[in-house]
Amino acid sequence: MQSIISKGKNVEDAIHIGLNLLGVSKKEVDIEIITQETNGFIGIGKKQAVVRLTVTNELSKNIEVQSHSTSLEDLANTVTAMVEKQDVMNETPVNNHVSSTDLVGKSWVKDQRLYVVDSPSHYSTVTIGKGIQLIKNEEVFSGTSTVITEKDLLEIKLEEPQEEPTKWNVSIDNNKLHATIDVEPGYKIIREVQDVEPNEHIELKVRETKVFSNTLQYKEILEKLDALRVSYGFNHSEIMKSVNTLIPGRFEAATGKNAVAGKDGWIELNVDINPMNGLVEDESGKVNFRETKLIPTVEKGTVIATIHPPIPGKPGITVTNEPLPARQTNPLIARTGKGIIEIENKLVAMESGRPSIEIRGKLVKAAIVPKLIHYDNVNLTSGNIHFIGDVEVLGEVEENMLVEAEGDIFIHKSVSAAKLTTAKSIVVKGNVFGSELESGKNNMLIVELGHLVGNMLVELGKMIAVVKQLMKSPAFKSSDFSVTGLQPLLKILMEKRFRNFLISAKKYQDTVEKSKIYLKEGEWIKVSETINQTFITLSNQITTLDRLATLYQDMKELSNQSEVPVEPNSYITISDTVNSSLYCSGDVTIIGKGSINTKIHAGGIVKVHGVVRGGEVYGRMGIEIDEVGSNSGSKTVVAVPHDQLIKLGRVREGTILKIGNVTETIRNERTHIIARLNQDGQINLT
Amino acid sequence: MLKYTITKEEYTVKVTLNGDLDIEGTELINDKLIPSLLTAKVVEVSLEQVPFVDSTGMGLLMNLVNTLKDSSITITISHVREDVFEVFELLQLPEIFGKEVFV
Repeated sequence: MQSIISKGKNVEDAIHIGLNLLGVSKKEVDIEIITQETNGFIGIGKKQAVVRLTVTNELSKNIEVQSHSTSLEDLANTVTAMVEKQDVMNETPVNNHVSSTDLVGKSWVKDQRLYVVDSPSHYSTVTIGKGIQLIKNEEVFSGTSTVITEKDLLEIKLEEPQEEPTKWNVSIDNNKLHATIDVEPGYKIIREVQDVEPNEHIELKVRETKVFSNTLQYKEILEKLDALRVSYGFNHSEIMKSVNTLIPGRFEAATGKNAVAGKDGWIELNVDINPMNGLVEDESGKVNFRETKLIPTVEKGTVIATIHPPIPGKPGITVTNEPLPARQTNPLIARTGKGIIEIENKLVAMESGRPSIEIRGKLVKAAIVPKLIHYDNVNLTSGNIHFIGDVEVLGEVEENMLVEAEGDIFIHKSVSAAKLTTAKSIVVKGNVFGSELESGKNNMLIVELGHLVGNMLVELGKMIAVVKQLMKSPAFKSSDFSVTGLQPLLKILMEKRFRNFLISAKKYQDTVEKSKIYLKEGEWIKVSETINQTFITLSNQITTLDRLATLYQDMKELSNQSEVPVEPNSYITISDTVNSSLYCSGDVTIIGKGSINTKIHAGGIVKVHGVVRGGEVYGRMGIEIDEVGSNSGSKTVVAVPHDQLIKLGRVREGTILKIGNVTETIRNERTHIIARLNQDGQINLT
Repeated sequence: MLKYTITKEEYTVKVTLNGDLDIEGTELINDKLIPSLLTAKVVEVSLEQVPFVDSTGMGLLMNLVNTLKDSSITITISHVREDVFEVFELLQLPEIFGKEVFV
């Protein structure tokens, strides 16, 4: 049998092409229309007409009979072929390429077509891979494996080529300093059936090819930038890159000019105000108490400092051509205390004495500190000493006595079972026995209060949000606010929801009340009073949302202020100490024999030139001790934060080293060690 | 203006508040309603007819609940409108009164 399958743009055309190929007339063939042509939509889905022409003369029929039974030659001639992307298809060209004997009972794929040659003894099988549809006799085959024969009309269908368009976007960042193009070039996935060598069993597999194409146009970007009102700082080369890229990328289409930061106001000191060298060792390691250059002094009329005004920054330009203001620069605020006046940004001493300058954030406090010299012992006869300036005691401080000063405290002899408290520094030349020394009390307080204010601030913020939310609730009337203020509401809120706030508020108030004399900054007290009126006593004063907002701002200011460390730091320098407690916001230095069973807390470095036996030593900025530990077994703890070092000349068995949260007990006596945390978070001794 | 109606049964007193529970109801609640309830064993307050509340009104409600509780009277509040209950929840009234009060 001679039969061919022919394709044409319509049925008529397909028949015509087929007849030409066979070289016969229309009367000599049977015509079977396999597929009508489809026009599709703008070329997509267009399919050609397919017809099968079978020659009907006797000779041909004979051949057909033969071929089915015997002739291998003719068997090959009856290869049924699948048609895809071919105008005309028949079995003969395939026949030319392969030796027909090898093909019996086999199928194969070549050039997107599926071929098969029958065998009397077995059938050819095919497995259909993912993404392929086998259309067998005009029906979609749904299984994964099937038998195919020459008689089958086979067609392979693949998924349509997958296309993704080029995706792109232009965005401007929050500061309007950068306009960026994000491009993801489009692609097309073309699918083809892989060629398979003739075999009894074959598998149809898809080969996918991904072709990238970037359809983004320069013009499109410019239009988009125009729509976003970008008009400054174009980077044309970057835009070109974004148009040409075949890989996803980000390009900066325009760049603004950032503002140049200015400089806040600052203070320039003309005199030495830092009496840190209270007691110093000479070359031989001895300390000469006669050489205490403790107090720098100034004469009347001296310019002690210059306050420089802030230097404004330079504004920048956004990509939308708007000016970008530079960060506001703040002037330094000078508060002049006793004995100081401010003339044309200069701080001038009006009295002779020790200048004291305290800088905290934007605030500078300057004063000439008066000095009290007590020529005798501090005891029941003299009474306790409270003084707003420096205090120098030439004698001893006896049992149960108190020395409280705003300036430095200098004790020439010993301190026994007494208490020394100051906002500044303490120097004791004698023994400190069973006493309590606090220097930098102000700082300690402010850290504590700052912590409380920080807690309250978070709660107050939430409270304001709740009140605002409430006022928006449809069933809530805020008419009574004008009569009673927020008080009734706050009372309910304090009952449960903000109970923690009330606890913090009471604690804050207590702390402020107890330490009023150290709080030279009125703001802490002012906030305390407002909190009391608003939340604790619920006074008759009408509370408004604005009042809460103002309080919030004030508290925020204080919270920020408390986070700025005060400078210069206070210090404690003493000779020896036994059974005492030393608190200092700065360095603690012990220059005599050492410290026995004493608790030391330093915001700075702890340096001990003698022995530390028993007690706890904490140095926020590190610790240096000549000898530590005891043979009697009293517990000695040496602690620093995780990022600091402990340097020890000699450390005895049983001493506990603590760095951050890690603790290590010394098992054997060692000399010259430096303890620090290693990268694994363990204590490393070298 | 807030009004209320009371129906007394043997041990249970049912109170239905009618109108906005606000500052104008202060005298009504504190001076009239509360004293009249102190002899009851169980008080059921319905807020079905209360469309709006203000902060004073909620303070009054708190006073009512606390006073009755102090006198060992069981009190429940029912039929609270959705909008009103939203306000109660913002102030955590259910936590303050005890969740069993709202039925």
